[in-house]
Amino acid sequence: MAAILFKAKQLCFHDKICFADLEIPAGKTTFVTGPSGAGKSTLLRLLNGVLSPTHGQLYYLGHDLETLDTIGLRKDVLLVSQAVFLFDGSIRDNFAAFYEHREKSLPSDETIKKFLSICCLPFEPDATTNTMSGGEKQRLYLAIFLSFHPAVLMLDEPTSALDSETANRVMQNIITYCQAEGITVIAVSHDQALTKRFGENILTLERVENNYA
Amino acid sequence: MREIVELGIMQFSAVYLLLIVVLAIMKHAKINQTKLLIVASFRMTIQLILAGLILTYIFDNQNPLFTVCYLLAMIGFTIKRTLSKTPGLNKKFKIVVTASIAFSGLSTLAFFVIGIVGQNLFNPQYAIPIAGMIMGNTMTGVTLALKSFSDSLKSQRAKIDSLLNLGATPQKILLPYVNNALETALLPTLNSMVGMGIVSLPGMMTGQILSGTLPMTAIMYQIAIMIVICTTVCLSSFSSLHFGYQTLINSRNQIKLIGEE
Repeated sequence: MAAILFKAKQLCFHDKICFADLEIPAGKTTFVTGPSGAGKSTLLRLLNGVLSPTHGQLYYLGHDLETLDTIGLRKDVLLVSQAVFLFDGSIRDNFAAFYEHREKSLPSDETIKKFLSICCLPFEPDATTNTMSGGEKQRLYLAIFLSFHPAVLMLDEPTSALDSETANRVMQNIITYCQAEGITVIAVSHDQALTKRFGENILTLERVENNYA
Repeated sequence: MREIVELGIMQFSAVYLLLIVVLAIMKHAKINQTKLLIVASFRMTIQLILAGLILTYIFDNQNPLFTVCYLLAMIGFTIKRTLSKTPGLNKKFKIVVTASIAFSGLSTLAFFVIGIVGQNLFNPQYAIPIAGMIMGNTMTGVTLALKSFSDSLKSQRAKIDSLLNLGATPQKILLPYVNNALETALLPTLNSMVGMGIVSLPGMMTGQILSGTLPMTAIMYQIAIMIVICTTVCLSSFSSLHFGYQTLINSRNQIKLIGEE
């Protein structure tokens, strides 16, 4: 039986969003679905400690999340948010800026190209990001985060700006890469087809009344 | 020494006629601030008359206690105005701003009055007008610093969130905004120093010359006060931002931007 990666009990955020008790297994691709307002993005932000629950407990690999060092946790459980942000300049400049914030040195062009190709971006590292389309920016953002090689990769609507064919190819590549590297993927997606195709474990969130207070 | 010409009340009132020019231009350009112009002129008049009356009393009845009260009131208003122009600061941030303005203002004031002029800090003739100049500029500087800090944070939410998710420390994420805001706060003071004497004869110097002070003495005062103002703006903005931004970060390395609950 797979180890339990995350476990939540009576979890609430600001008494508006509450979750039914849930478990997310390690090593399996989990897709989180549910109506808007059910707290999908909030759940991811609770899992990487950018938000703290106002009620209930969260466990990461059996440890109470509130006792863990949040910076270490976020490096381990990397969240690729829905709102894409890129710096000005080239693709390499972007890798450099993000790596600088993690106090790591810039990866080689080979490595950069490898992650660009996983995300189906046929660009050289010198290419400027200013003229990229929304979908290209989203994939570059993904490629940069993926290159940090976290233990868990959380994707919030990773393909929202992509057509379904590109979305399929990118997700296929990412999931193949992550499985080979032992990275657990947790994704939030509205895309039913994508969820069905790639979700080994599907977690459906529903609006839960706040019965815990 | 030539004495300044006393202004007769009738002649003096004529200056308000100039406001008709402003009103006419505002009407022509469809600037809907007629009410503000009238309120501002009215408030300025009343406030300055009050200040004049109080200063006359304090000068006639020299008492350190009066000077202290006047200075405290001045600092209090500066802090109140500064805080009210930057809504959404959390409680700790407000305390930081209060302490920064009070500490920087009082220490540079003491340095100027005691160290440079060689007067008692409680001599109202020196302490009060100098404090007024320092506080006025500090208010502008710190307000600008906080506004630019708060605005740039708001416009960069996606960047801040991305870097936070990446596992960068909140300090590393926010520090560039702190430094940028400090630069923004300092620029007006630095620019006014650059243009001084060429573009403008500054108010204090003009005042001293009008009242019969030798131009070279007036210039030395002006140079000294500009350096004191620059230092105070720098100190108070730096300490407001530098200690203030840390109040946006909690022990879980989460960031609550200015104005967020």
